[in-house]
Amino acid sequence: MPGEGGTRHIMRELLINIATIALVLHIGMMGVVVWYIWRGKTIADRLIGVDLVTTVLVSIFVLLSIVQFDSIFIDLALPLAALAFISTIALAKYLADEQVF
Amino acid sequence: MTEVRAFIAILAIIIGTLFSLIGVLGMIRLPDPYARLHATGKIGVYGSVLLLVAAATWTPLGWGRAIFLIVILIVAGPVSAHAISSAAHRINLPMKDPIRDDLLEARKRESSNVEFFE
Repeated sequence: MPGEGGTRHIMRELLINIATIALVLHIGMMGVVVWYIWRGKTIADRLIGVDLVTTVLVSIFVLLSIVQFDSIFIDLALPLAALAFISTIALAKYLADEQVF
Repeated sequence: MTEVRAFIAILAIIIGTLFSLIGVLGMIRLPDPYARLHATGKIGVYGSVLLLVAAATWTPLGWGRAIFLIVILIVAGPVSAHAISSAAHRINLPMKDPIRDDLLEARKRESSNVEFFE
C-alpha cells in the first residue's frame, strides 16, 4: 500500500514538530517562573515558584525524550521529581516552624 | 498502529501544554498565594502526567517507569501544595477578600483551649 507509509511519515513529522513547539513553550514558561521567583511578592510565592520550576523541568525532560526518541530522560526526571517533593516539604516545614527538625 | 499511537501522543501533548500554559497564567494573574497554589497544582497533576502518557505511548519506554513517575507526581503534587499553603497560613499571610477562614477560627479555639487547660 503506497499511501500508508506516507501517512505514517506525516504523523511522525507532525508529532516531532508539535513536541518541539511544546518544548519551546515550556522553556519560555520556565523563564517566566524564574522571573517570578526573582520578583518574589511574598516568601510563599518564592516557595511556589521553586516547586514549579522542578515540575516544569520534569515536563521538559519528558518532551526531550519524545523529541530525541530516547527514554534516558525519563530516568533523569524520576529522581528529580522525588527530590523536589522532599525539598519542598522540608522548606515548607522550615517556613512554618523556623526549624527543620 | 503507529498512526494511532502518534495521534494519542499528539492529543496528549496539546492538552498537557494547554494545562501548563493556563497554570502559569493563573500563577501570574491570581491575587494571593492560596489562589496561586490552586492554579499551579494543575501543572504537576495534569500537564506533566499527560506529557508522560504521550512519552509512554510513543517512545520505547515501557509503561513501568512511566506509571511509577505518574504515581510519584500525583501523590507528591497535592501533598506539597498542602504543605506550602499550611505554612503560608501559619505565618499569617493575608488572604484577599476572604469570605470565611475556618482554619484561623479553629486555631484560635484550640489555642484558647490550651490556655484554659493550662
